[in-house]
Amino acid sequence: MEIAPPLISQAAAPALIEVDGLTKLYGDFPAVTDLSFSVRPGEVIGLVGPNGAGKTTTLRCLAGIIPATRGSVRICGRDLAGQPIEAKRRLAFFSDEPRLFDYLTVDQHLNFTARIYGVANYREIARPLLEELEMADKTDKLPGELSRGMKQKLAIACGLLHSPEVIFFDEPLTGLDPIGIRRMKDSILKRGRAGAAILISSHLLHLLEEVCSHVLILKNGRKIIDGTLGEVRQRFSEQSGDSSLEEVFFRATGESKGSP
Amino acid sequence: MIAGALFYYQRHWWRNRLLTRIRRLRQPKYLFGAIVGGLYFYWYIFRALGRGGPGVRFSPEHQDLVQAIAAAGLFVAVLLAWILPQSRAALSFTEAEVAFLFPAPIGRKTLIHFKLLKSQTVILFSAIFMMLIGQSWGGGNPVIRTLGWWVVFATMNLHSIGCSFARTMLMDCGISNWLRRAFVLGTVGLMAAGIILWVRYTVPPPPHLIKGTTDSTWLWRYADEIAQSGPLPYVLFPFRLVVAPSFAANAGQFLIALGPALAVVGLLYWWVIRSNVAFEEASVELSRKTAERIAAVRSGNWQAARKPKKAGRSPFHLRPTGLPAVALFWKNLTSAGSMVRARVLVFLVWMVIFAGFGLHSQTKQAGGLGAGLAFLALVLAGLSLFWGPQMLRNDLRQDLLATDVLKMFPLPGWQVVLGEVLAPAAILAAVQWLLLLVALILFPDRFNDYSTTLGARISFALAAAIVLPCVDLIAMLIPNAAVLFFPAWFQLGKDGPRGFETTGQQLILMFGQLLVLALSLAPAAAAFIIVFLLTSHLLPSALSVLLGGAVAAVFLLIEAGIGIRLLGGVFERFDLSGEVLREG
Repeated sequence: MEIAPPLISQAAAPALIEVDGLTKLYGDFPAVTDLSFSVRPGEVIGLVGPNGAGKTTTLRCLAGIIPATRGSVRICGRDLAGQPIEAKRRLAFFSDEPRLFDYLTVDQHLNFTARIYGVANYREIARPLLEELEMADKTDKLPGELSRGMKQKLAIACGLLHSPEVIFFDEPLTGLDPIGIRRMKDSILKRGRAGAAILISSHLLHLLEEVCSHVLILKNGRKIIDGTLGEVRQRFSEQSGDSSLEEVFFRATGESKGSP
Repeated sequence: MIAGALFYYQRHWWRNRLLTRIRRLRQPKYLFGAIVGGLYFYWYIFRALGRGGPGVRFSPEHQDLVQAIAAAGLFVAVLLAWILPQSRAALSFTEAEVAFLFPAPIGRKTLIHFKLLKSQTVILFSAIFMMLIGQSWGGGNPVIRTLGWWVVFATMNLHSIGCSFARTMLMDCGISNWLRRAFVLGTVGLMAAGIILWVRYTVPPPPHLIKGTTDSTWLWRYADEIAQSGPLPYVLFPFRLVVAPSFAANAGQFLIALGPALAVVGLLYWWVIRSNVAFEEASVELSRKTAERIAAVRSGNWQAARKPKKAGRSPFHLRPTGLPAVALFWKNLTSAGSMVRARVLVFLVWMVIFAGFGLHSQTKQAGGLGAGLAFLALVLAGLSLFWGPQMLRNDLRQDLLATDVLKMFPLPGWQVVLGEVLAPAAILAAVQWLLLLVALILFPDRFNDYSTTLGARISFALAAAIVLPCVDLIAMLIPNAAVLFFPAWFQLGKDGPRGFETTGQQLILMFGQLLVLALSLAPAAAAFIIVFLLTSHLLPSALSVLLGGAVAAVFLLIEAGIGIRLLGGVFERFDLSGEVLREG
């Protein structure tokens, strides 16, 4: 799949996500060690690695949910530790399980989110967003009355309401049907083309191949490689640079394809 | 072979569960909880075993009546099983049991036997618990009491399963829940009418009903005659058979009573096993709902255990701009609104009216029913400071599992804390204002030898109305501070909130809350006293009270403000990775 170029020039634009020496310890256990990378506007970076590689911990540190033990994270030039409110105002994080309030309807979720982020014209933004997500007729429903996919869409609508410049996805396709998967991919590409910096953690390598411009491979909390898909392929290809991301992943992580 | 596998599962389930609970005592939070909980249980329950009870504490002439009352209680429980439930037959299994046992080559009778076997442990523990409570009241033989309670609980368990099967069969025959309820209630109504008529024309009423005097001996005799003669003994006969072993004074009496009771149990067992009802589908759904409820309760979020069935109305229009903390206040008020049902309010109103009537007799000389209700309102307003923070949990305790969402919001910590505690504090304050209003309206001008003017009452009510919301804010900050400082005590992990250690943890939290609240109130109380003493010579005392209340409120607000700021900082530094996320 061809990835359309972003609307703004990537090379000239400053990075929207700057991670420098990020380390996260759980007690003595290093979940992430000395991780550094940056993401510019329009770049969609795939975060891959085996189970326990530190992908979710990385995303949670970047979203300000858990504090980093060492290192710095800058979102749109704002230090996440020093200016957390300014940094968080510019990001959105979508976890693998949609996190919703059981007792708020779809409309109440949007109203609540608008007040938290101070989105004065939220109704004008929410209406086309709900229509795009095919939820316009479900505004008075509680999360308990929605399917898994619909809950995911509601979480996305809430997350996009304040037009974030930085977006983190943790396993965005979990529980979605084929139509939902198609729409989610389109939505990610659309945000990327609009200039958002996007970081996606997923085990679905074919998804990342379709939507990502860059890839970052983690193993045991450490970065093995990052770069454009082409660069990473080139580095880990045996003869030519046309290996699939799956083959690159197995070579880079030293995992065997036959292992369970 | 299958029975062996099921036994193996049950044995190891209990063994591993016990080992896990013992191992976690290595963590101080569980160890302290276990010590306090153990002392509590020893003091109130186990100590009675050592003392030895005097046996059945009812006098022999009341023995039959008490037994009849117990049988009537069982009758009501059985009756409710036919009236209240509306769902199809469902045996409660865990999600893992459903996943492993339902697709396995196991017959439905074996599944029912497994369920009955599994419930025996819970029944036995319940029986021992009831025996221990009975011992602390005074007694009898512990073995006889335990076995007696086992018969009662086993009967109720079998009846509940059989009843759910019968209910499902009736639904399959096109008999709706309402038709069944109408039939049951109609039958019971006819029986009750027959008994009342018989009593009216056969048993003379006790003297106090005629002369206006109270004589407990007559009352006992009157009730005894109703219970022992006429139609009621026939209605209660099967239920008396079941409760009879619990009332046996010695082993001989117990064995004599046990035979008929076991016959009833056997009959119910036969009914359950013979019922050919599909329970699997409803059981799968029930197991899912139970798992969700358990997860909510284990997170300390009792209210979320009841998922809202319909959306609560927005308490007010939330503008998209302004102080973000208001959004959290609005969210929690909406949550509280979705949990309150009309029937709860009706129940509360009835409770207040009944309690008012109860106090009426106590305060009849002093001011009648109005005074009774006024005093009740004041007592409830006072108690609300203690029970309010325990009952109203639409704050960080409710949102503990969503703390990662809160952490993502671009808000300073103090706004999150303020937004979270405002809703329960506001609800509590509204309830207290209502109680104060009731007290103000109904309080008598003269009570015993004291008289109060309307002005004094208004001034006291106003002072209380100013002070109470500020106290509520502090009272709500305390459990929320506990959530942030000791999240693991609220997020209890996968082993569940059971055992001595959990009771101990709750006791520690409760006493901690009282202590901190008392300490927090001390400066404001001192300010009130000083202002009152300084101004009471210059101003009318009603005005001094009001002025003192206002100054106390300012002190409390300053304390609350400092508390919110401090807790906000704690929230900002709160590391979920060490607490909620890792346990979840």
